Amino acid sequence: MAPDRARREPRTSAPRARQPSLLPGFGLTVGFTAFFLSAVVLLPLGALVLKALGMHWHAFWAVLLDPRAVASYRLTFGASLCAATINAFFGFIVAWSLVRYEFPGRRLIDALIDLPFALPTAVSGIALTAVLAENGWIGGWLAHYGIKVAYTPLGVVVALTLIGMPFMVRTVQPALGEVERDLEDAAETLGASRFQILRRIILPSVLPAVLTGFTLAFARAIGEYGSVIFISGNLPMHTEITPLLIVVKLEQFEYASAAALGFAMLVISFVMLFAINAVQAWGRRRFVAARR
Amino acid sequence: MSIILDQLTKRYQGLPVVNDVSLSVAEGEFFVLLGPSGSGKSTLLRAIAGLTGIDHGRISLHGRDVTHVPARRREVGFVFQNYALFGHMTVADNIEFALRVRRVRGAARRERRQELLRMVALEGMDDRLPSQLSGGQQQRVAVARALAHRPKVLLLDEPFGALDARIREELRTTIRKVQQELGITTILVTHDQEEAFALADRIGVMNQGRLLDSGRPDELYARPASRFVATFLGAANLLLARRTADGIDFGHVLVERRRTPRDPEVVTVVRPQDIELAPSRERLTSRFVGQGTVESVVYTGAFERLRVRPLEGSSLARISTGGNGGAGSLLEVVRTENEQSSFPLALDQAVVVGVRRAHVLPTPLTSFTLYVADAGAADALRAHPLLEDLVNRMKTRLTAMTDAEADAAAAAGGVVARGVAVIAAGADAPARIARLLDRGATEVLVLPAFRQVPQRVLIHWTDEAARRATLAVAASVLRHVPAEALCINILPAGTPEKQRDQSMFSLLDARSEGQAVHRLDVRTELRFGETATELARELAAPGSQMLILGVSDPGEVERRFGGLLGAALAHPAIVACPPSKIVPRTGHGA
Repeated sequence: MAPDRARREPRTSAPRARQPSLLPGFGLTVGFTAFFLSAVVLLPLGALVLKALGMHWHAFWAVLLDPRAVASYRLTFGASLCAATINAFFGFIVAWSLVRYEFPGRRLIDALIDLPFALPTAVSGIALTAVLAENGWIGGWLAHYGIKVAYTPLGVVVALTLIGMPFMVRTVQPALGEVERDLEDAAETLGASRFQILRRIILPSVLPAVLTGFTLAFARAIGEYGSVIFISGNLPMHTEITPLLIVVKLEQFEYASAAALGFAMLVISFVMLFAINAVQAWGRRRFVAARR
Repeated sequence: MSIILDQLTKRYQGLPVVNDVSLSVAEGEFFVLLGPSGSGKSTLLRAIAGLTGIDHGRISLHGRDVTHVPARRREVGFVFQNYALFGHMTVADNIEFALRVRRVRGAARRERRQELLRMVALEGMDDRLPSQLSGGQQQRVAVARALAHRPKVLLLDEPFGALDARIREELRTTIRKVQQELGITTILVTHDQEEAFALADRIGVMNQGRLLDSGRPDELYARPASRFVATFLGAANLLLARRTADGIDFGHVLVERRRTPRDPEVVTVVRPQDIELAPSRERLTSRFVGQGTVESVVYTGAFERLRVRPLEGSSLARISTGGNGGAGSLLEVVRTENEQSSFPLALDQAVVVGVRRAHVLPTPLTSFTLYVADAGAADALRAHPLLEDLVNRMKTRLTAMTDAEADAAAAAGGVVARGVAVIAAGADAPARIARLLDRGATEVLVLPAFRQVPQRVLIHWTDEAARRATLAVAASVLRHVPAEALCINILPAGTPEKQRDQSMFSLLDARSEGQAVHRLDVRTELRFGETATELARELAAPGSQMLILGVSDPGEVERRFGGLLGAALAHPAIVACPPSKIVPRTGHGA
């Protein structure tokens, strides 16, 4: 009976052409959104696709499947996934300690989280290289144990982790803040241990936010350029990331090849982001609607 | 005993939110903790569940000391005001949660779930998510979830707070039914006295962190022990009167008889339905108390609620002031249909007022009278935060008398001391205290210029004759001031062992007396040295304090405590002196 009525209600009000909306300016804002999106995002991307598709089919594939290019995809997406995963884990812990505990210097740390947002990425790259190179503080110490960070794929992961951290922390922080303490108290009186509370109550509640943070950190890492070129050493086949390869192509005036590589990145990124969004949407549906 | 709390204290930023609460709840009993918001009742409940740590005291559940046991191993069921259901789980998963974390097998879980859903009348709702249920249904799920692991104690924190009146009543019935069916010991926290009456086997009334009183609902209603309980449990008029040899004197009844200053002032509780209104004194069937005019009439079907303003000059002006937005000086009256038809009333109509039944409160602090040099000094004293708090919270009267007036009254043999005498601290304070005690005051409050509400109350009496009176005063103060209490007994240095034991016993006696008579929990300590010196040392401790000093001879005040209570007094002090020991010197006594 109740769902029936709910379905009927919008139908009766539908014929009224201009229903006064609670928020005025719907047409204006949507028009602006469409224009803005087109001018800033879709047009340049369209130009990129056109440029890439202007190439001959064989030449296009040759550029895309060039071993050096494939190696760069692997490094870019592999390192980005690694960095986003590391961020998902440690970013959660950082957000947790910032939300849950009151300690001296908490506000300072909270402010420091945003630093990678503001710092020119090249600066963080130089800083990381200085510290992690074999003559740097940490790099020298790690070299004792035979671990090389700078100029290896590991260095790339480190740089991308640094860049993605604030995205993770800033998305998880508010979600964690919203987990009601009463839920944890309830679980505790029902006999759950701290770990069970974390696994069964807190994590399911903040999972959508963690996924969003993961997506953001991942997307940011794929596009990252400035911080990586210093620490990676840019060895072709080994520590060269795709954005750098594109710059190399541009410097050699191979605009079409650069566009083709850009197109490839676009497609892969889109597919991956779409997949993550699908997971997220599934999680949300499960959260809101009835199961089974 | 199923739940035993022993001297539970929980401080928040140095202030006690739960203050020395001791309580025992019997097996299968439904106990309701009733109090206004901020009274510490929820904190107390959370402490029992182990969700809040405590600073002092012990908690035992079914003979097992759980003071240091974490919440998850206390085997209690807890129901929250906002349901606290797990939003990402179905009703079934919510209810089975406690069993799942205990690794109970699937079939057994399902069986228990069905049983619980039947109990709270939610069969077939297994697969819903909490967001698809109404508030009342959600709270039923929360109750079922809290009972899943067969806890021995059920704790409910304002479970009906977020529900509308009809659902509230329905759920109330369900919870009472479930509780009786399972025979589970239950504590429910609420601020709604109607709810408390409807559910409770026993009610405990909390205010400012203290458990003021507990007992069967009808007992608490008929014979409240304090002003707060009287006014919080149902409507009540607090009237000041005098206790005479012939009974309670509201001022007019025994007007021909010469009253003496020794007739102590008392606070009486008169329920609105115990007040009779009549057109003239002759038509009154109960005791005549005074005259007034009808200020407002509200007809509520079976009853009629009236407010009557006492006539100026009538003894009814002695109704306690303060309280509900100035309405406190109006008499609340409830009349039945019979009374309405036999004497219809309109606004502004003059009536005579009679009292059918009055309950006398045992509190010694009835009203306050300032004794000052002039009116300016009275205003300064009136604004002292401690006095303001006491007067407002006691909903009582505060009057002033200049020294000249007091002297004239004393010379004429009239009433000098009414209620608590209040004076300003200073070098002449000890002498003034002694004079006031001589003139019939039983308590003198000395207020220093230092304006702070005390966090700790020191209690000391010089000899056993003053103990009862001192404890009564302390209990009355502590019901209205959120402070911690410490009883100290001071022996001369080098007291022989045997006498020390005796002193310790007397302190323990005092503790039991405080608990039994006043429901007041105090901590006790034994000190050695010179009494006034030791008291001064205690008062010098950091934090704001207050001294309650019991003496049995007014002469002692100047002789022994002249230094302590003189110009150097930095904290408020009450000197209490039981009336029986006063030897009238002015010659106009009883």
